[in-house]
Amino acid sequence: MIQPENPAEAHINELLSGYIDGELTQQDWQRVDVHLAHCRQCADNLSDLRALRKRMGQAQLGNSNTDHWREKMEDTGVKISRGIGWILLICGILAVIGIGVVGFLTTSSMGGWEKLIIGSAYIGLGALLISVVRQRLIERKSDRYKDVEI
Amino acid sequence: MKKSEMRQELINLGGGAHALAIQILENPQDAADVVQDAFAKVLSRPRAYDQDRGPFKPWFLRVVRNRSIDLLRSRRPVETVDGLATLAVAPDQAMEIAQRDEELQRALSELSSGQRQIILLRDYLDLSYAQIADVLGIAPGTVMSRLHRARLALKEILESYNDPT
Repeated sequence: MIQPENPAEAHINELLSGYIDGELTQQDWQRVDVHLAHCRQCADNLSDLRALRKRMGQAQLGNSNTDHWREKMEDTGVKISRGIGWILLICGILAVIGIGVVGFLTTSSMGGWEKLIIGSAYIGLGALLISVVRQRLIERKSDRYKDVEI
Repeated sequence: MKKSEMRQELINLGGGAHALAIQILENPQDAADVVQDAFAKVLSRPRAYDQDRGPFKPWFLRVVRNRSIDLLRSRRPVETVDGLATLAVAPDQAMEIAQRDEELQRALSELSSGQRQIILLRDYLDLSYAQIADVLGIAPGTVMSRLHRARLALKEILESYNDPT
């Protein structure tokens, strides 16, 4: 780090950054200009900082592909509409099942035992379905290689 | 601002926002998720941005920064951060980063998170000092000195790579 010989110019270092960024007041700008005219060390430092700034400006530090971000944005819209679709579908299916169950329980054309047997078969089927779906979801969540393309 | 204009602005800002999130999260995939979440948040409430309070760019970068910090806080107890060295070997998005910038990214990873962010906001994203202060939530008068210290530290690290003695 440069230590200016003149204590009155102790902050010239930090002013160098303001100088290359065009963020100095007119007074500070002139002060740096005068200093640079006779301080080789600061002039070299200024040149290094300019080179560093240029290198940073030209670097590729993130994904700057606009098509990628356009797709991500569309993904967001698709995700929202898909979520709404799933909610409506599940609500509709639950309503249909509810109506069916109420109709089945209140029908008078079937005896109590018949209702129990048919009901238990459907409940068993439903329990198996839930169990399989649950297992699949757990596997999907814990599979570390699910995104690996073969 | 119209929503179509906002969408275009967001698409253009995606890369810069991604770079900023990477400097905070030290993980390109998490950073991409944060940027996508920020897109969704901003587009779902476009009126949250008040044009009278300044340009869109620093406002959106502040949103990305806040979301990155939220994610960092939520994952901190379970994950260790090994620094940005992991970026060099991440298979997918790291491929986007040109080989010539790997050295720069490695040097940045040796700085503190605050130093990485301030350099990125100025030299990569071209924000003014006032805008940097706004994004980072710091006093405008401290930007120049912080930025200068960060630049000197980065310069020193890069020089040490070329001169290992």
